[in-house]
Amino acid sequence: MIGEITFGQYYPGSSVLHRADPRIKLITSFWLIVVIFVCKNFFSLGIIALTAIITSLVSRVPMKMILKSLKPIVIILIFTAILNIFYTQGGATYWEWWKIKVTEKGVNTAIFTMIRIISLVVISSILTYTTTPTALTDGLERVLSPLKVFKIKVHTLAMMMTLALRFIPTLIREIERIMNAQKARGADLETGGILQRAKALVPIFIPLMVSSFRRAYELALAMTCRCYTGGEGRTRMKQMKVSFRDIVLILYCTAATAGIIILNIFFEAVI
Amino acid sequence: MKEKLIEFKNVSFAYEADGEAVPETKDALKGVNLDIYKGEFLAVLGHNGSGKSTLAKLCNAIYEPTEGTVSVKGIIPDTEEKADEVRRIVGMVFQNPDNQIVATIVEDDVAFGPENLGIEPKEIRKRVDEALKSVNMYELRHREPHKLSGGQKQRVAIAGVIAMQTDCIVLDEPTAMLDPKGRDEVMQTIQRLNKELGITIVLITHFMDEAVQADRVAVMNSGRIVMQGSPREVFAQNEKLNECGLDLPQSTELCKRLGIKDTVLNASECVEKIISMLGGAV
Amino acid sequence: MSYVIEAKGLSHCYSKGTNQQVYAVKDIDFSVEKGELIGIIGHTGSGKSTLISHFNGLLKPSSGQILVNGTDIWKDKETLHNSRFQVGLCFQYPEYQLFEETVFRDIAFGPKNMKLSENEIKERVLRAADYAGVKKEHLDKSPFDLSGGEKRRAAIAGVMAMEPEVIIFDEPAAGLDPKGRKDLIKLIRDYRERTGSAIIIVSHSMEDMASLADRIYVMNGGEIAMQGTVDEVYSQGEKLRSMGLNVPEITEIFASLRAKGIDVPANVYTVEQGTEILKKLMGRCSS
Repeated sequence: MIGEITFGQYYPGSSVLHRADPRIKLITSFWLIVVIFVCKNFFSLGIIALTAIITSLVSRVPMKMILKSLKPIVIILIFTAILNIFYTQGGATYWEWWKIKVTEKGVNTAIFTMIRIISLVVISSILTYTTTPTALTDGLERVLSPLKVFKIKVHTLAMMMTLALRFIPTLIREIERIMNAQKARGADLETGGILQRAKALVPIFIPLMVSSFRRAYELALAMTCRCYTGGEGRTRMKQMKVSFRDIVLILYCTAATAGIIILNIFFEAVI
Repeated sequence: MKEKLIEFKNVSFAYEADGEAVPETKDALKGVNLDIYKGEFLAVLGHNGSGKSTLAKLCNAIYEPTEGTVSVKGIIPDTEEKADEVRRIVGMVFQNPDNQIVATIVEDDVAFGPENLGIEPKEIRKRVDEALKSVNMYELRHREPHKLSGGQKQRVAIAGVIAMQTDCIVLDEPTAMLDPKGRDEVMQTIQRLNKELGITIVLITHFMDEAVQADRVAVMNSGRIVMQGSPREVFAQNEKLNECGLDLPQSTELCKRLGIKDTVLNASECVEKIISMLGGAV
Repeated sequence: MSYVIEAKGLSHCYSKGTNQQVYAVKDIDFSVEKGELIGIIGHTGSGKSTLISHFNGLLKPSSGQILVNGTDIWKDKETLHNSRFQVGLCFQYPEYQLFEETVFRDIAFGPKNMKLSENEIKERVLRAADYAGVKKEHLDKSPFDLSGGEKRRAAIAGVMAMEPEVIIFDEPAAGLDPKGRKDLIKLIRDYRERTGSAIIIVSHSMEDMASLADRIYVMNGGEIAMQGTVDEVYSQGEKLRSMGLNVPEITEIFASLRAKGIDVPANVYTVEQGTEILKKLMGRCSS
């Protein structure tokens, strides 16, 4: 049933990565993603690809799941590859026909970009596979908490994210229920042109809005009753502690970064 | 003398239509006087629109009375700070279990209240575990709330209040949206909290079989408290209850119709009475 | 063929073909005759809601058939669409489906989808409003200005306005107070008397069902665990309790009386019935 879905794409497990501090995971993921764009040649890129592969092995998330996360970007991958092959010119010419020319540089850029995008997606999906949405939100709140200095309401944003995560399944179920109720009165949601279909959504949209406002109001009441007054003076039950495995994670990223920089210096840039 | 916890003194409440869009109906109260004592289990009965829900929301300063005062342990919540103080004494559980759970994981939700109170993390952990155990939800502490049954969600909401260690829990029709199994679970939990932990319970309901379990019953009709007393005293007045749009439990009703003078409250009492009436002659 | 609805070997499973295949309902044989009042009882998650969603084609059976007036509703698109108007489905808390600017227009939503003439629609709306006890002066109001009980009546009228041959009510009295509950049961009873329409009520309240239903189906674990008349079903108190259901208190009282050796019938479901029987018995004792 649709109401039974687990939101986000968390893959339950107990690997080192699952147990690592979400803050450190957020920081290191972001770090590696930046490093992807530092790579200048195939050797340094190889290190990033290797890092992505090792990390996914360590996460113990089945390869099938990781490949699944690549599925939505297949079209983007093909598209960028084609663009790169035909628009980047330079170096030896491999193949030529009429005005179309495939050159060494074009092929290199295409392969380079593809590996970059794949690594980026793999690294960020490992983050979401090994971290629950809740931990992610919590981690984000704490990582971003220095931004308070700039009067950015980090806690409020995080609270909004948590509530969204909490209520998405509830609202999906609600939509399903309203749709069924209107279909039972003969509402036709599947046929007709765009305008007709948009019109057919009114009987779903209005009850959904009404009930969402009611929910929001009741939720606000319930939160007030539980003494919620915003982020000030709040403590947290779950403390995040940086442990040995987190330090290893940082060292691992540092090593990868160092390797990339060295290889960048010693070999000629491809891109 | 029993200690007063919440005191309603000549409280009236009128819903002002000031153009504010509020997605609920507020029912008026008229001159309500009511004392709620420490450690008791009070059931407030009444049909929909009788004002029972307004009474509940006055208990922890969600609404402000238009006339009269509601004081909790002597505190009159006329400022935001005092209202907050009152909410640390009186917790609240609402009807719709979906709309009062804040977090995406059961134990995080139970921790929400204590976190707001600024309690030490270790102490919160202890309170959360204890609260979850007291509502029999400890095993399910890592679950996601939307995968729980109605009765389970309602118990999580109750645990969230217990973890705040309030003296009193006001439950506003907590079983109205539950199936019989969920209702039983919640009622057993309420009983246990009252008897074992000594938490004062105010149960707002229109189910008579739930009111039977209380120490004291107050019946509301069109914004007033029209009857007060032990379940036996109140259920003895069936005509008056019918006027208030309420039903007697079937066993009480049966004995009434048979002309049995004493008011019975449950099936086994009823069976006993009938047997003694038949005089074992059958 | 006098069946309005007939289900033959109906099964519905989620995640079919994977190893997580779960049957929500399994091998259901079910039938409703013209004008019959059927009760479906079962605890939450017993498959009641899944079953009734098949009756007007909201769900497609994984295997088995649904016949409405003898025709398989999945025969073609048109039959499926028409089944929605032959089988009215009134969900739990139907007031949450109201959306139009006025109560009148909301009730007219179903008939409009049936592509009826303006006049016919108007007639039907007025008739349905009358059946459901929606006050005339409420018809021009916004449905959101009504009280909870009035909203529910308006929503029920919206289903009645399609004038289906059978109406399914899923927990029609959920959340209502005792008086609201009694009024609603009376409403359903009156509607049936006036229209002769068949009715299916889904509920976990065994009390209301006792005085209403001609036949009862008990669902448990996605299957039909028991079926028969009220007497046949309610007499098996132990079995019902094992499925998380409670027989009415009055029935339990009579069961205990019988257990104590007092000669009273077992099929007592209402206080009125019980009073009469016991009064007679007492009269006999004293004479």
